[in-house]
Amino acid sequence: MKKDLRERLGKEWLVFDGGTGSILQSKGLKGGELPETWNLKRPEDIIDLHCGYLRAGCDIFNTNTFGANSLKFPDNLEEIVTAAVENAKEARRRAGREDAYVALDLGPTGKLLEPLGDLPFERAVELFGEVVRYGSRAGADLVLIETMSDSYEAKAAVLAAKENCDLPVCITVTFDEKGKLLTGGSVDSTVALLEGLRVDALGVNCGLGPEQMIPIVKRLTEVCSVPVIVNPNAGLPRTEGGRTVYNVGPEEFAGWMEKIAEMGVQAVGGCCGTTPEHIRLTAERVRKIPFKAQTRKNRTVVSSFSQCVEIGPRPVIIGERINPTGKKKFKQALRDGDIEYILREGLRQEDSGAHILDVNVGLPEIDEPAMMTDVVQKLQSVLALPLQIDTTDAEALERGMRIYNGKPMVNSVGGKKESIETVFPLVRKYGGVLVALVLDEDGIPSDAEGRIRIAKRIYEAADRYGVPREDIVIDGLAMTISSDNKSAVVTLETLRRVRDELHGHTILGVSNISFGLPRRALINSHFLTMALQNGLSAAIMNPGNEEMMESYRAYLALAGLDPQCMGFIEAYAGTQDRVPAAKAAGGTTGASDGTAGSAAAGGTGAGAEGASPGRTGEGAGRASAASSSAMGLTESVVRGMAQSAAEAARKALAHTAALDLINGELIPALDQVGKGFEKGTVFLPQLLMSAEAAKAAFEVVKESLQGQSQEVKGKIILATVKGDIHDIGKNIVKVMLENYGYDVIDLGKDVAPEVIVEAAIRENIALVGLSALMTTTVVSMEETIRLLHEKKPDTKVVVGGAVMTQEYADAIHADCYAKDAMATVHFAEKVFGG
Amino acid sequence: MVLRPDLREITRYLGYHGVTPDENMMSEIEQCIGELENVITPRFVYDRFDLLQKEEDGRSILSFGGLETESRDLARNLKGCTGVYIMAVTLGPGPDRLVRRASVGKMSRAIIFQAAAAAMTEAWCDEINERIRAEAAKEGFCTRPRFSPGYGDLPLSMQKQISMILNMPKEIGVSLTESYLMTPSKSVTALIGILPGAINSDLGSPKSVEEMIANQKPEDEIAANQNPANSEAGKCANCAAAENCPYADKDDH
Repeated sequence: MKKDLRERLGKEWLVFDGGTGSILQSKGLKGGELPETWNLKRPEDIIDLHCGYLRAGCDIFNTNTFGANSLKFPDNLEEIVTAAVENAKEARRRAGREDAYVALDLGPTGKLLEPLGDLPFERAVELFGEVVRYGSRAGADLVLIETMSDSYEAKAAVLAAKENCDLPVCITVTFDEKGKLLTGGSVDSTVALLEGLRVDALGVNCGLGPEQMIPIVKRLTEVCSVPVIVNPNAGLPRTEGGRTVYNVGPEEFAGWMEKIAEMGVQAVGGCCGTTPEHIRLTAERVRKIPFKAQTRKNRTVVSSFSQCVEIGPRPVIIGERINPTGKKKFKQALRDGDIEYILREGLRQEDSGAHILDVNVGLPEIDEPAMMTDVVQKLQSVLALPLQIDTTDAEALERGMRIYNGKPMVNSVGGKKESIETVFPLVRKYGGVLVALVLDEDGIPSDAEGRIRIAKRIYEAADRYGVPREDIVIDGLAMTISSDNKSAVVTLETLRRVRDELHGHTILGVSNISFGLPRRALINSHFLTMALQNGLSAAIMNPGNEEMMESYRAYLALAGLDPQCMGFIEAYAGTQDRVPAAKAAGGTTGASDGTAGSAAAGGTGAGAEGASPGRTGEGAGRASAASSSAMGLTESVVRGMAQSAAEAARKALAHTAALDLINGELIPALDQVGKGFEKGTVFLPQLLMSAEAAKAAFEVVKESLQGQSQEVKGKIILATVKGDIHDIGKNIVKVMLENYGYDVIDLGKDVAPEVIVEAAIRENIALVGLSALMTTTVVSMEETIRLLHEKKPDTKVVVGGAVMTQEYADAIHADCYAKDAMATVHFAEKVFGG
Repeated sequence: MVLRPDLREITRYLGYHGVTPDENMMSEIEQCIGELENVITPRFVYDRFDLLQKEEDGRSILSFGGLETESRDLARNLKGCTGVYIMAVTLGPGPDRLVRRASVGKMSRAIIFQAAAAAMTEAWCDEINERIRAEAAKEGFCTRPRFSPGYGDLPLSMQKQISMILNMPKEIGVSLTESYLMTPSKSVTALIGILPGAINSDLGSPKSVEEMIANQKPEDEIAANQNPANSEAGKCANCAAAENCPYADKDDH
């Protein structure tokens, strides 16, 4: 009976096989011919190929299924995969190598996953899953996923393998000479993701020769805890008389592989351009080198598609703002499905210096699992920060973790049995760094001793579920000192003891400490310093809070965690310490304290502008700005200065009614810019900058209207039609329509006709705007219009996009052709009688 | 890698027809180019194939690299050629991500990124085109202006064969959507005909033809929104695809 591969992997040298393409070409495979078809057409040649490698001494060899998926073989995938495994088994018999393992080879689909491309993540999982089912049924011994250059596709393939068989899963990915995947992943971020998915071994193949791979192999051995596989090409390719040849021969290749083996990898083999001779020499030499097993690295890491954040060496900031608790506007955005609001909150925190973002979208009245999926997908399409999935809904947690392109943080598990049983299996399956709250069925222990006891229990649970201990961070629980003035002391002791006695990492929702007190930032920033000093590894906080960020940066500088104080200097060079209180009589409460601050500001503003109380806000603005260079609202909008437009609006509101400001200034300013655009004196970027300035002013005005009902002129659907992925034009139109007071339902790009029609009926929409850029996608536009006219005849349709013309628009029965964003606005005014 | 895009091209994509933007706008554009330089990962792949052309019942059939296509406009572009280079270039997924990010709340920046990235893609195309020209020249061939699927009557669906011949997903990380659009979007495929001889130029100076072709790159939305061909119509006279150009005489400003 042959040994289970899992018993050998990582415990002794294992040798993989080499290249396939060039050997098949020499046997007559034509350019453009799919190699997988040979499993059926020319099985003897495939068996022969395998026998070559088996006789050369490899232990693991790949089925000829690299490109086998139902996109390429919609009709006979099962037949091809089954034949491929049978050929491999036959080769093993003929070569007398029953000890060798048949690896079911999975290569990339050749499609990019959403949002970069158009292949949905779950569809990718299905495509790989099919192959895994056929291959494991036919008798493969392991799954080898290889040549992956996108972490997201790699994740889909690993999940598919794990969900469709019990075989060992190995994976090798392809880095470029800078150590990056095609989609931007680094060695660190890729290893975090794949180890989180519990692969049995991982490594690198293709793309580079052995020499160029050395820096990558070095990093792999520094961060990997699972066995490392290295399968390079035979050097770098060049074309010779129409054929691709590689420049490293068997002798030289084996020499490099010896060096690589000595670096502490556990399995070696070859890829493009390598031959049985390359593998024979490599196997011979490498087996003479003493084998070293991989060591556990015990690093606490989370990752995004491109970034890896390590928790431990220096404290990290986890942005807490994507959370509806206590935020009226955020709740409304969730109810309205206004994902952009959430994205902006994310981008702001990234700009403020957060390292990880907490994502909580829980609201009783919404479908949280669906919202979590959507928000995670959209956030990871615009930001590079790792995410912390924060929910008490088990389904939302699983769907968020599944769709996430990386190894997330997970918030949270508690000491309760039910919580442990729900959360740990998910972390075991998808990977993640888990926030563990030290509370249980009996509530929150009032002393550190009780909290440490629960922490220990959670670590033991991690052991039981096969989750590494380093993937747990203990939340010491910050409770407000306003109800128990010993609570901070207990929390700090808990942090200290987790660090010193349990050698673990800790996390806190820092701001809870000051709940119910005035001047919360003052308490929070001091508590943050104390917590950091007591070993806090991760602070969940608002990175937009200047006082807390000051404490954080000062702590890093003082604790020797900010080399040459560069981070501190970069943040604060050229700024001043705060002015002593005596100088700014009455005004020191500043912006952080809402009511008092604004009352004071309102007072001074009114005083200065007493001279011109008239309706013309612009004049008033100028008068008040005599001492500075502040601009009036109209000028700010016309010149496209967002910040000054918001300031001007704030000032003007002191003496002008909100509606007067909108109709008397904002809209006329926008019209002025719009007319300039139509005449050709104002250009597109300026038009948009003005729109953005107006939007900033609108937001200020809207705030002042809170509670009052706000007039919306009408709801409009915008979409880029099916098959088309260009959405810039549509987004430009959206900005302009919103500026003119329309509520835009943005269905995105590549939207099917039925989806548009269904939304139009559901929301009873009077106007739909469609965009298409390509001649080829105007067909979908026509189909959408036809369906709309049929199912919702009273809805008007305006069309635009690069290839669109009046004639085209007439031919497909659109109600209006808009040559640009302003033309769309004019049509909307007509439709809604504005 | 430094890819110096043509600033005039960027401003033209942004709709400044012959007008030079003010200093603020120019510095905004420079800033965007700087940010793009940090995220681009330019890659390319090309290969050379023998070319066979024939006329059958008035149809122009071209075969190369194991594929056969019918295109009057391509046949005109490749007239007299004995071989053809197929090239594909990309700036990688970085620019798309920057555009997406800027689209959240700052469209003015998104369109500048878009325009600048389009011009950088052109610059990258020019560079690879030049390598091909030099390589061909060494062997005594001269090259024709590059021609892409989607120009004139050359169907966009030809991307599928090109992608397979060059193994684009693996070689440069570019894949096709269901409707044959390339992702990442800042990618271009093109055919470059070669024929024996020193300099050939019955299609006008190569630079102006290239500019003309840049004008009608299908993936170039900003240019498309602004209808650039109108202001540069003179150059279209040289284009093999002029008759079917989607940008010609669309409206009358």
